[in-house]
Amino acid sequence: MLHLLKIDLKKMTSYRTFWIICGLYFITLGFSTASGMEILKWIASKFEDFGSSLNVNRIPLYHFPDIWQNLIWFSGLFKLVLSIMVVISVTNEYQYRTLRQNIIDGMSRFEFVLSKVLTNLLLSVMSVGMLLLIVMVTGLIYTPELIWSDMLVGTEFLLAYFIEIFAFLSYALMLGIFVQRSGLTIVLLMLSHMIEAIIKVNLFQESLNPSIGWLKQFFPLESITNLVPLPFARYAFQEIQDYVSITAVAIALGWTFLFNYFSYLKLKKSDI
Amino acid sequence: MAETVLQINKLTKNFGKLCAVNQLDLEVKRGQVFGMLGPNGSGKTTTLGMLMGVTNPSSGSFSWFGEPSTHFTRKKIGAVLEHPIFYPYLSGQKNLELNAMIKGANPANIAKVLDIVELSARKDDKYRTYSLGMKQRLAIASALVSDPIILILDEPTNGLDPMGIAEIREIVKRIAADGKTIILASHLLDEVQKVCTHFAVLRRGKLMHSGPVDEVGKGEETVEVMAHLANGQAYQDDLSVLLQQFVGSATIKKENGIFQVMMKDGFHSQDLNKFLFEKGIISSHLVTKKKTLERQFLEILAEAH
Repeated sequence: MLHLLKIDLKKMTSYRTFWIICGLYFITLGFSTASGMEILKWIASKFEDFGSSLNVNRIPLYHFPDIWQNLIWFSGLFKLVLSIMVVISVTNEYQYRTLRQNIIDGMSRFEFVLSKVLTNLLLSVMSVGMLLLIVMVTGLIYTPELIWSDMLVGTEFLLAYFIEIFAFLSYALMLGIFVQRSGLTIVLLMLSHMIEAIIKVNLFQESLNPSIGWLKQFFPLESITNLVPLPFARYAFQEIQDYVSITAVAIALGWTFLFNYFSYLKLKKSDI
Repeated sequence: MAETVLQINKLTKNFGKLCAVNQLDLEVKRGQVFGMLGPNGSGKTTTLGMLMGVTNPSSGSFSWFGEPSTHFTRKKIGAVLEHPIFYPYLSGQKNLELNAMIKGANPANIAKVLDIVELSARKDDKYRTYSLGMKQRLAIASALVSDPIILILDEPTNGLDPMGIAEIREIVKRIAADGKTIILASHLLDEVQKVCTHFAVLRRGKLMHSGPVDEVGKGEETVEVMAHLANGQAYQDDLSVLLQQFVGSATIKKENGIFQVMMKDGFHSQDLNKFLFEKGIISSHLVTKKKTLERQFLEILAEAH
């Protein structure tokens, strides 16, 4: 296993695009998640310009335990950047035909897919690590009164975040293996949510068949989104789901397995 | 009897309606330099693709070393199909390191194979900066990196200049001298005749012929003759009249002042020499020419019609 990961990393670590995309991903992820307070302060100053006031300290954006869901939901938006890297990594293998040579040299098709999946796992773990670091640093800075038990409430969102990233990267990998061309794959990847939304809107017009609305949660991209629900509405006094749903985790894990299995199946059946 | 390294049974590949390889049977034994001949599109690369696991056969089977093929057997084979394939943004050295990792080969071999193909000086340059000849040589190096028992080369001299072709040929000969089994697909007949011990001819996916290269020249011989009189003066009369009197000559042609005598079965150049000498003529040029692979190849293809 480690050997396969090393092989895939060797392909990547001398590839400048890889460093640029991954560097940009982690830098923007780090800085943007950490600068929420500054944005709030800027919004507050705008409020003052209009004569009203906003007390930023009353919005516990970075306070334990709110911080987990807040930052993790926001960080989820960046996964597209990482998934584009995954698409480039796999479509390159088709474009340069190195996939063919890898197989000729004695890799099995399963090993090839596994090497890519392992890299996805590594990237997901690194994202989780990055987020853990940001949450700890900003949480410790901004939380007025640190209570240990508060810090641990919401850590399950880290696991949900891991599944969210890994599931989406698996989806990107599968798309890359099926489409094989980088440009087209990236466009499809970016439009995926939109395409799924269009399908859902047309299938589940509430007025027509209200009884099957619960099926929506089984859609692949929706299942990934459902892992970490949007938290910010709670600051407008609305009820939100502030826990990780086991059903959502199960559905997302199911899709993750299928994405990777489809990748393998496609590769197994095709002449390369 | 040498050990069989490759056995192919009724191997078939259909691409839709097109049958690229049709019921192919073939056997390659250890130590052979096996040439696969055939016009473009005759199924050579498809066959090799199936042998190397990148093309799924429609039916039929093959075995390497007497076992069904898996990716483990492929690690023991060094193969370059069609054209060299490498990561363009990696250096030659790094590409070979990657090949060695996949094959589970000793990385210490890399320096050695780079030496064999004379690329050591450019090993740290990116692959995309290499000339075509260097790319082909790197491909041979990558095939050699695991010290394989079998080497598969598909058109290794494609697109090279005459010097590049000669270089690759020398490399192949050196490797063959090491006792490795080589399967060489080519449409260059001269190439195959110069380096191969055995050959097979494919046409539209079917095996037309298979046998040792040595046997190509068997049967009829052609002898080239130029002659002088015994006293050193040039022969003035038409030599062909005299040659026709020789019992062993079947047909006589004149090309560029040289007579080409096609011999009857059982007659050889020494018989002709003796005959001329007895007539008081000394041959100044006497060469036995065996039938070329090219002629045999064209004959085989012609028979197929």
